[in-house]
Amino acid sequence: MKKDAKNLPATDLLATKIKDLTPEILAQLEKPLGTADRPFPMWGSQRVEYKGNSELEQVLSVIASDARPMKIYTERSYQEVMALAYCDMPVPSMLQLFFDGLERRKPESKNRTQMLIGNPGHGKSFMGALQGRLRSKKSVEVFDCGGKNMNELLFEMVLDFGSGDALPSAIDKRLKAGTLQALSLAKLKSLPGVSIEKDEVKSIDWNYFKGKAKPEEVDAAYKIMKEVSHIEGLDNAGGNALGMNSQYGPLIRWFKENREGVLDEYNKSREGSDNALQTVWQFLNGEIDQCTVENPLKNKDTTSGPSSFTFKREDMGIGFFVTLTGNKTEDGVTTRSLNKSVYSRLSPQTLPDPDVIDWQHRICQMMVGLPVSTLYTVFKDQANKDPDAFGAWLMALRKEKAQIEGVAIPALQEALLMNWKNVVSASEKLAQFYDKWATLTDAEKIMQGHADLVEEVDEEYSKKEGVDFRKIKQHLEEAAAIRPRMEPAEAPAFINFKDFMKQPVLSEQDDENPALFFGTRLVEFLERMVYEKSAAIGKEKLYAKLSKAMDEFGLHDVHLLEGAHSGQKSVEEALNISSFADRDLGKQAQLARKVFCDYIRQISPEITAEDDQIVTMKKVHDALEKVGQKNTAETKELFIVNRDHETLGASPLTGAKIEDVAAYTLAKKELDLSYDDLVHHDDFMASLALPTISGKNIAAIWDANIRPLTEDQNTAPANQNTPDAGAKGATADLDEALHIAENRSAQKLATTTLRVLFNDASGAPCDVSIHIVRNEARGKTLIVGEKVPSKLLAAFREAGITHVDRNDPNAIGKVEAALNDLTRNMPESVRGRLAEAFKYRNDVDAEHLKGKNPQLAELLVDGNIDMMYGKYLIKASKKAM
Amino acid sequence: MSSELMNKVAVEVAHQNAMERGCKFLPHGSRLFTVEQGWESAIISKDKGVAVADTLLTLEAALRNPENKVIFIPLDAAMTEGDIEKLCQRNAITKTLFKEVKKSS
Repeated sequence: MKKDAKNLPATDLLATKIKDLTPEILAQLEKPLGTADRPFPMWGSQRVEYKGNSELEQVLSVIASDARPMKIYTERSYQEVMALAYCDMPVPSMLQLFFDGLERRKPESKNRTQMLIGNPGHGKSFMGALQGRLRSKKSVEVFDCGGKNMNELLFEMVLDFGSGDALPSAIDKRLKAGTLQALSLAKLKSLPGVSIEKDEVKSIDWNYFKGKAKPEEVDAAYKIMKEVSHIEGLDNAGGNALGMNSQYGPLIRWFKENREGVLDEYNKSREGSDNALQTVWQFLNGEIDQCTVENPLKNKDTTSGPSSFTFKREDMGIGFFVTLTGNKTEDGVTTRSLNKSVYSRLSPQTLPDPDVIDWQHRICQMMVGLPVSTLYTVFKDQANKDPDAFGAWLMALRKEKAQIEGVAIPALQEALLMNWKNVVSASEKLAQFYDKWATLTDAEKIMQGHADLVEEVDEEYSKKEGVDFRKIKQHLEEAAAIRPRMEPAEAPAFINFKDFMKQPVLSEQDDENPALFFGTRLVEFLERMVYEKSAAIGKEKLYAKLSKAMDEFGLHDVHLLEGAHSGQKSVEEALNISSFADRDLGKQAQLARKVFCDYIRQISPEITAEDDQIVTMKKVHDALEKVGQKNTAETKELFIVNRDHETLGASPLTGAKIEDVAAYTLAKKELDLSYDDLVHHDDFMASLALPTISGKNIAAIWDANIRPLTEDQNTAPANQNTPDAGAKGATADLDEALHIAENRSAQKLATTTLRVLFNDASGAPCDVSIHIVRNEARGKTLIVGEKVPSKLLAAFREAGITHVDRNDPNAIGKVEAALNDLTRNMPESVRGRLAEAFKYRNDVDAEHLKGKNPQLAELLVDGNIDMMYGKYLIKASKKAM
Repeated sequence: MSSELMNKVAVEVAHQNAMERGCKFLPHGSRLFTVEQGWESAIISKDKGVAVADTLLTLEAALRNPENKVIFIPLDAAMTEGDIEKLCQRNAITKTLFKEVKKSS
């Protein structure tokens, strides 16, 4: 009797026999993939014209046809199918086989098998199971054929624990409680499927004996379980049944239940054990419409079970399909060549070795949960034209997949996805690097162009350390987690000898945005892996080649020969994503309000109000919007946190400006200021911890007021330590130092100093210096000043600011490390020019420095250095903005 | 804020905190996150729709149940990470697993 689609729950539709499919059921099951305005990527051969000749090439294109799209027969909703098909899409070189798999699942297809042969870790069983996951919410059974007798696919010997698994449950309960008898534990240890940890039985895989174990293992387990059951006194309890039976194997079960299954590692099965299957393969590939198989286990010992089974075409359901996977025969001795008859019946399809486009695809899937690179490649024009719409589409797909996963998108993936261009560019470099790494660790491939590695890379090394998708997975897993980081080796480590034995009071913990240093963690981990897998085990040539590849493919910062920044982001930089970079002003306002309110509560402990009571989101949003529109590099306006309790709710920011003594000197005027006019150190620092405001303020602090003073012959050089005009190349050096002081350096390096209000230890007002060193190209800033409220520290990291408290015992070391980072890959002379730029404003001829030759780091932390040409940060107006 | 909404927000925060520590990619698109013992693990384990699996039998049943998207594995569960990987390999389905671990500090 034909089924009526209206009367069937959606989850039962795949159980419909193909002969019973009605147009209504088909309409409900059928979901098109690759339609006119929803194209689906596809890989295949196409004739490509090049200089008048045409050649057959493998290309990535799309299927986009309303008339002939691909079709998925599925119980899932259209949204779920789209999310899974696009997010979990097989790598490009497998797409054609994916397409072929869909074709074979059509109702009219008599061939209900697909066999895939490829390298381990290529994603064969993943693709087979993906087809099943696309069709149903039920799990797809993956049967490991390794070392097994293939006749067990038809009939298998199992342990029968009775309904409810009473005996295993009772033993598991005692195992967890630690109350199993010692003799029982000793016997259980010899069971297959048992996990041992620290010589203790940790777990027992009972289901292994219900359809995965070999007959001899089931036999042995039966005897052991009889004994254990007796020792534990469980043999008398009602319901603790234990028996041994033969039952239908996975192939027959899947057929009867109309479901998908994967036979994994088929060519690692026991040689000669698949004789009984030959007619079954003929049935499954459509050559014959019926076949009967006998149960050889029937009535063996005390077992019972079915005596035979007949596969009939008319009984076949639309949901039934079998994917077989196998490794290439060169994989190892356990992989066997299949019989000619099996090859002929299953027609295995061999997967090509992964190409760079495949590595990139898989890297993107692991980083953000969908293959951004492949999607970008096929929709490039539209993505470039409307990057926001492309980004929103990616996010919608990922969110739909998150629904299937049952949890929201992890913060790291979301941050990366919002910066999808960075992901595309970084994944391309990573893919090229992994492709090279795979080539250099493949004993066969090194013969083409890398024969010098022949002594270091042999077959054994290739098998053990060769790079495949699984290795990438491990690397990305490692990089995702935030772990304690090693300080740079050159940074001096400060130790507190006096109080060493006392447990320290740790500074306040702040939550680190997991995306902020993801790139750094990944690249540092890769560097470590490269070293450990080569130089550390005596493979120096391999190490040299891999290190060169890391540079070549831009894992670190990319610089031009002259040392200037090329403008192209390295993998490290592209994947270090600050939440300050979020283009959504609403999200920036959220961040800003949190920093603002935390700061206000910290400096005014009497304020205990919630964020919303301190300032509304709208006020913060409006303030950011207003400042965001300003070109502060031109207007020289600054915006400071308003700490006035009366007005901060209405105006969270207040204006400020710089009064420069250099400009007054040139105009032969005096600058008259009082402490009341100055902006407080902490208020300025808090403004640098606010998204949007931070960047706008940093853009406003540069000037060219020193230059006319140096050109004026009547004006003395800043001090004795300014560049010697007589020295070789001095003019150029002087110019570069001035450029650094003005933020016009070709190296994109700059430094300046601001003078702000502070309160000394007694609480009395004083003015102090804040030194700022900026690498404009990398968006990184070093600020040396006084101690800042701890609530600002996490936000500084997001803003790319390294703040050093000059009173910190390890301040010089921290500044040194930050300067090394800011001048990384730049010529050594740059540090000298930077120091000269510093001296244009700061008086290093101070009494306490006489006879010394302090380095820049020491000068920056020295709180006793006065400014010759002070740049005072003053309140723009008493009226708040 | 209603208690139901507060609970929903707390579950979300607990998920995000656990996910910040990174994950182990399991076969067929499942992911294993660790969650420190404490309020986060308590709230995840009590969330409705979350299957708690403390043995391999219960884990496999949870993996096979299409209604369970999230599975919680308590600290004292009788299973190793190798067991979890093995079961996810033979039951191909996308699930999110949270494994309770001892608090690091």
